[in-house]
Formats: sequence, structure tokens, C-alpha cells
Amino acid sequence: MPSPITKETLKHLAELARIELTPREEEKLLYDLQKIFDHFEELKTLGTADVEPLVSVTGAKNVFRDDDERKSTNRGAGTNAFPEKENGFLKIPPVFEK
Amino acid sequence: MKFLRGLTIEKFREGLLSKKFTALEIAQGLFRHIKEKDSEIHAYLDLHEESALQEAENVDIALATGENLPPLAGVPLAIKDNILIKGRKTTSASKILETYVASYDATVIQKLKEEKAVFLGNANMDEFAMGASTENSAFQATKNPHDISRVPGGTSGGSAAAVAADMAVAALGSDTGGSIRQPSAFCGVVGLKPTYGAVSRSGLMPMASSLDQIGTITKTVKDAAILFNAIAGKDPMDATSAETAYGDDLLNPDFAKIKNLTIGLPEEYFVKELGGEIASAIEGVKEKLKELGMRFKTISLPHTKYSIPCYYIIVPAEISANLARFDGIRYSRIIKSEGLDLREVYVKQRGIGFGPEVKRRIILGTFVLSSGYYDAYYAKAQRVRSLIKNDFIEVFKNVDVLLTPATPHTAFKIGEKVDDPLWMYLEDIFTSTSNLAGLPAISIPAKSGIRDQGTGNSLPVGFQLIGRPFREADILGIGEYYEKSL
Repeated sequence: MPSPITKETLKHLAELARIELTPREEEKLLYDLQKIFDHFEELKTLGTADVEPLVSVTGAKNVFRDDDERKSTNRGAGTNAFPEKENGFLKIPPVFEK
Repeated sequence: MKFLRGLTIEKFREGLLSKKFTALEIAQGLFRHIKEKDSEIHAYLDLHEESALQEAENVDIALATGENLPPLAGVPLAIKDNILIKGRKTTSASKILETYVASYDATVIQKLKEEKAVFLGNANMDEFAMGASTENSAFQATKNPHDISRVPGGTSGGSAAAVAADMAVAALGSDTGGSIRQPSAFCGVVGLKPTYGAVSRSGLMPMASSLDQIGTITKTVKDAAILFNAIAGKDPMDATSAETAYGDDLLNPDFAKIKNLTIGLPEEYFVKELGGEIASAIEGVKEKLKELGMRFKTISLPHTKYSIPCYYIIVPAEISANLARFDGIRYSRIIKSEGLDLREVYVKQRGIGFGPEVKRRIILGTFVLSSGYYDAYYAKAQRVRSLIKNDFIEVFKNVDVLLTPATPHTAFKIGEKVDDPLWMYLEDIFTSTSNLAGLPAISIPAKSGIRDQGTGNSLPVGFQLIGRPFREADILGIGEYYEKSL
């Protein structure tokens, strides 16, 4: 069974995932993915039409916290995690062309 | 320092309270030992000597003033490099985060700070917890203390090696498909992966959020119970954390009750490919537990053979979403961005910053979630995950705990398998099912070292106990019962 990921698909996926790949990396990835997809073949033999997908292993859903005022112990944690900032603003590279 | 060898949390507590040693003496002794030993093992990425000595001294002062000390006061710990300690460089062993400094404490770290624990340093791991040998670290390969030509396992290989080499009294790791249990088995220490939801994931760098759990790596089962007890509990910062109600039996198992538990042996885990040394070690454990009066029953988990494909579809899918945050805008920028537009920053940062296994999984995850393939792969794997979980629900109607090997073989050679990702994926064969089903599981050394033909070193073997959700007390209880009998 050929891998569903061709060279063209791989280029498209890398673009979607925003990862630059070298030609050598592409070659190795295609080789590895072929082996991995061969291993996935086994799943196709298993009928699952009447099985519900498992989305929450503990069964928990829609977990809310109380809408209360609370003291933050992590003030500044968000802005501190930005490599570039100036006067309390976060700096990012240009999004639009000049 | 003579006390360091085999120093456990329990022995540390006893020695500290009886004034056999001070917390500072132990911490100083450990750093001396680490400086010598870790040049060979490479378990740590970063040491926090100054703050650790201060933390230890504070415990000594509190003790001298007659303060009641919490159970983990002064206990020197190694912390896996994907768990945030505020103000510390935390990289998940990835080049993309080599300049990142944690801006808050993980909930488990907050809890351990309240316990007055001592943080020795950050332990090495496979990049973003992807791998099975700690060879995927962007910075260094950790060696197995039992044989330095072999891997310590992964992904919490630094944590397991540090504990095994007495370079920490205990450690925290994280486990998504076996990342605590497999390195613990390879290094001859005890690794506990708690029930999904038992421990807050807040401040753990996410890999596959529906499976990740923080857990403990210790020298004894008793220590695992003590450390787990300190980090467990519901946390509003993690919506998937659960309200837990652990009773006294977690720390003080009643062996008369433990003896009456029935142990299931899943036939799918005792395959012919199982290394002979593993099979005989597990047989030894079984015999010992029989002698102690425990009953066994052979059971079947029929969907076991689908667990690896199921796991390696769900995990990359979650990775492709979780690791999208590392974009060169937030957390770190390792490239020169002058003259680059936003898209170019993304692709260059991620192209240079991520290692091969991380890229492989992001690409694979992007594919299985993509339009046209979602149903055939991701949705299919979620359905298979239901079947795997149901297998466990069924068998737990008849047995209380399962006994299996922790790994298919003992620690392998460094470099031997590093270019074979599928082989590495199959390392999770006995461990990933409990993550898929959200169950607690522990790896405990089977006391029969295996002689390696080449080196004459004896390599550890681990056995695994899997319990019902939130019944850590059962697997810890049997583990402690076994340990005491040796």
C-alpha cells in the first residue's frame, strides 16, 4: 500500500504547518512516513462504524470555573513570554506589506 | 557523602528529623556528586545550585526554630525540562526554546514549593517529550547509569538516570505513552504515571493533551506514593484535572486487603517476541506475588494490537495543534528576523528550531487532521480508542489490577535505533494503552538483573501494574507489598 503522502502532499503539509524543510529532510520524511503508514494499515481491518469516538477519556465536558474575582499569581507571565517588547507593547514582524 | 547512596524520601526525612544530617549537607553533597558523575551521565541540562542550597538552608532554619515540616521538606528533586519553574530556563530540550525562561510556576511546582522541596535542576529529555531514548534531545544524549553505552530510555531519561545514579532523591517526569515507565524500567527505578486528571497539567508544556500526565520517578514504591500524594488534586488552572478523594490507603496500604486483590494477566502482552530475560523476570515477579497469597487470572484485551497505530495517529494530531504556538513570536526567537515578514519568521523559526522527530510528528498530525483524511485516520483512531478503553472496563469487572512487562526488552545501545522511528514507536507497546484509557500505571524493578553478554553488566527489567481509574492505591499497595517481601 503506497503512502498517501506524496512529495507534493508533503510540500503542502509543510506549508500548512509553517515548517521549512530541506530537500534531504523531505526525502527522509517520505521514507519514514511510508513505513509508518504501512503500520497504520492494520486499523483498516477493524470495523468501527457503530463505535462512538472517544473525545474525553474521563468523560468530563464543559468544565467551568466560578466567575469570581481572583488574585493572579502570574501577572506579567504573558508579556514576559514575548521575546520582543517595547514600552509595554509586544513587537511582532510586519503582517502586511508596506 | 555516605548518606547519598540509595537515599530515599523516607530515609531523608528520618535522617533530617533525627539530625543525622542537615538538608544543606545533603544538598551540598549532591552537587559535589553531580559535578563528578554527571560529566559521564549527562542527566541534567541546567543546575540551580545557588537557589537549591538556599532552599535547603531554609529548611534547616525552620527545623531549628521548631517549625513543623511538610513531608517533602528539604527533599532534593530533579525536574523534567518541560515543567515550568518560574525564572528558570525551560526548553523541553528543544533548540526552539533555548532562550526561553519560564514566566510562571507549574501547579506541581507551586505545590512542591509549599512542601519546601529543593529543586536541583532541569533534567534532560527527548525534545518536547517525543522519543523513547532521550537521544532526541537537542542538547545532549543521556547515558544509562547501569551501562553507559546504552540509552536510559525516554522521554524522561534525564529524570530516571538522575535518580538511578543517586544524583537526585526523586524526580518528576511526564508520561504520554510510557515516558515515565519505560526509562524507569531501563534504569531500575520506580515510575508512576497517575490516572488522567489526577495531577494538574498547568505549566507542563503540552505534547498530546488528552494523554499527558505528570508523574513521579523514585527509588521505592513508598516514595512514589509520598511524592504523588503531594502533587495530586483538582486545579482550576487545568479543566481536565479531576476532583480526587484519595484515602489513607494511598500512604498506608492495608496488606491484608491488598493480598485479596485479583491480578489479571493480559495474554496479548505475553507475546513470543518478548525478550527471554523479560519473560523470566516477570515470571519471577508472578511467583513472588503468588507466594504472598495473591490470585492470578489470565484475561484478554482484544484490541491491544491496534494501540500503536491508534496512539500514533492521535498523538501527532494533538502535537500539530499544540506546537503551533512555537511561532517565533511568542516564547522565543532564535532567528534573525530583520527584513523577514511574518510568514518567513514562522517557517524559518520552525524549520531551524524543531528537530527531526518533532517535524515528523507535526507533518503526520497535520495530515491526519486534514480535510479528506480526517475520517479515515483521526476519527477512526478515536473510535479505536473507545474500543481499547472498553477492553479495560470489561476486564476490571473480573480483576482488580493487571500485571504486564513494562518494556519488550532491556535498555538498547546508544545510536542503535536512532534512525528508525517506527521501531521507537513500538517501544510504547505495553505502556501506551493505559494512556489511551486514562488509567494509572506503574513500572517497578523486577529484582533479577540480566547479564549482558558484551559487558557483563546487569541490566534492570521492569514490570508494570495497571489499575482502575483513581485506584493508584491498588498498584502502589501491591508494589510496596512486593518490595517489602524482597
